[in-house]
Amino acid sequence: MTMLAFRSEGHLDRWCEQRDIPRGGVLTPEQAWRLARAWYGRKLEPDWRRHTLEEAEEVLTDIGLTGDFWNLRG
Amino acid sequence: MTNDAVALDHVVRLHVFGEAAATGRVPQAKRIAESLGRGEDDIRAALQRLAAGKVLILAPNGGDIWAANPFCAVPSGIRVRVGDTTYWGICIWDALGIAAVLGRDALISAPCGDCGAELSYEVLDGELADADGLIHFAVPAHHWWDNIGFT
Repeated sequence: MTMLAFRSEGHLDRWCEQRDIPRGGVLTPEQAWRLARAWYGRKLEPDWRRHTLEEAEEVLTDIGLTGDFWNLRG
Repeated sequence: MTNDAVALDHVVRLHVFGEAAATGRVPQAKRIAESLGRGEDDIRAALQRLAAGKVLILAPNGGDIWAANPFCAVPSGIRVRVGDTTYWGICIWDALGIAAVLGRDALISAPCGDCGAELSYEVLDGELADADGLIHFAVPAHHWWDNIGFT
């Protein structure tokens, strides 16, 4: 599981270097909260369904998660 | 997929997620079967279909539920406290997702991925009231489901 929290940019940089993992997508806590709400907010509802690709793309864009890293289509 | 399978998958989904939300514990196939009065093989087949549909994640052994996202079935270092119930998140996104899906005040604690220091995220009245640090996703979005456990 590599969706993690870090104390600071410095801690993130050290984690990436030690594991030889390229720096990926960075979110503020507020962005992560908005993503969580959009993604999971209705999952207990009987009529819940997974987002379509287009809906998921809109979620990311609305939160400001844009660019190649956040491209769901590859 | 038959209508019976669709109907069973729906019932199983609601049961699994409902129990996880209510108790903090994700039920497994045997207990689900007992609760729903269905055969365990039928339940396991339903769980396989739900996993194939990316509704939940099965453990590498292929049978047990690893996570009924956002609820993690196994203890993790990322905890979500809501009232008197403690939930586990498989990742920080899911931990925040637990607070979001329950719609209640929550306190999330997660270790810094680097040094292990405890970081806190507090949700009050639907808003993130207090938060430490930053969040990092290592796997690009279009690869998230290539190896969801690593993601």
